[in-house]
Amino acid sequence: MTANKCLRLYGAVLVSAALGGCAANVTMEPPKIPAPLIEKMPVAVGLRIPEEFEHYVHEESVLGREDWTIDLGSSNAALFTQLFGYMFEEVEVLGPDDDASTFDIDALIEPSIDAFEFSVPKQSKTDAFAVWIRYRLKVYDRDGDVVANWPVSAYGKSQSTAMASSDALRRAAVLAMRDAAAVMILKLDAETGISGMGDAVGDTAAVPAVAPAPAGGEQTEVQTTALEGANDDAG
Amino acid sequence: MQVDRRRIIGPGATVALAAVALSGCITSRVENSREGITGIGDGESVVIMARSYHLGNETEDKYINCVEDALARGSRGLRVIPHREFIDSLFPWFEPRTAPAETKGLPKLMQRPGVAEKIAGSGVRYIIWLDGDTERVAGGGSLSCAAGPGGGGCFGFAWWQNDADYNAAVWDLKGLESAGNVSADVSGTSFLPALVVPIPLIARARAAACRGLADQLRSFIVDDSEA
Repeated sequence: MTANKCLRLYGAVLVSAALGGCAANVTMEPPKIPAPLIEKMPVAVGLRIPEEFEHYVHEESVLGREDWTIDLGSSNAALFTQLFGYMFEEVEVLGPDDDASTFDIDALIEPSIDAFEFSVPKQSKTDAFAVWIRYRLKVYDRDGDVVANWPVSAYGKSQSTAMASSDALRRAAVLAMRDAAAVMILKLDAETGISGMGDAVGDTAAVPAVAPAPAGGEQTEVQTTALEGANDDAG
Repeated sequence: MQVDRRRIIGPGATVALAAVALSGCITSRVENSREGITGIGDGESVVIMARSYHLGNETEDKYINCVEDALARGSRGLRVIPHREFIDSLFPWFEPRTAPAETKGLPKLMQRPGVAEKIAGSGVRYIIWLDGDTERVAGGGSLSCAAGPGGGGCFGFAWWQNDADYNAAVWDLKGLESAGNVSADVSGTSFLPALVVPIPLIARARAAACRGLADQLRSFIVDDSEA
């Protein structure tokens, strides 16, 4: 090998090492949401999975020094399919082009992503990766009218010290999705009144997944934390 | 057969002496305040959890794992349920957003479908909520290193101080009340002198706070029933 070739190879290795240090790609596996300790609502819902839920990619440049790409893949679709499967007696998963009126359902839910953001330790000056997701749920009744348009804000945080950066970001995203799941379990019925829309499943009276708060609205009902209200009102 | 003891003791003693000599300075204070009678029976267990990051808590996963290991270790070790297993089994009631912030939320939580049964099934008697973190609070000195074709080396002196402040709130799920608090406040100063070769004298404040808090927690929970 000539000296010239040697130099070129050395240069290529240096450049690729430098570029490798400036860009990170994180691919999400579909999250596994634990079976929640709740009672199912006797409602048959249709869940329309939008196209973006099958392959959502978010890119972010951090102060011009790092490029981060997170590919959520089908993790959002997995989250909503699992969660609503736990929350409702019957769930029909609809594709983006399916005609909801041809299904025997009480309500149709269309989730979407309003915003996705994350921060890395260099930005926050901490050891933690943080992920914010704002979903939007549109709920339609049997006639196709919109009965609710509800933003759901969720947050997850994971420290980077115990694991590789990509694992920490992945973990923060999973925690944000679990947070969104917790919000929906706690508040979906109160925000949309969906438990009252059930006719397709038996004759039983509608039972919300989580009992509504008493008239006094005491915080101890759902063991709320200080930020819960603020998060949900955002957007 | 005659064994040369110097050969066995020698390396071990050297390592131990080196470890003592090469560690930084640590000062620690561990305290507890009791609110109720404690004790733990056969088949009962504890779970260690971090206070919610929604409330600004920064307790490291590493620290929680350390306390879990330290509490479970040894002949007097307690039965510790891994926190992630506990949180998953009670989803969504112990997520950062939904976990009870005060003991007065426990009666309502126990009335939720399946919660009391899950907790009884796991044998969890105490939930220990950790908050706090380890922070670098001071540092100074200067150290420079250089390398060339003939070799390299460092020269200078650096130091830094880490403070590890942690508090553990112990909740008794039998009486649905607070049993008390245990706190560990550890300050460690590390030094790094370098004369060609840097010699780190590290004060492991977080590890000391973990050991101190775990020992005190074990005494707090177990010893009261033995007295």
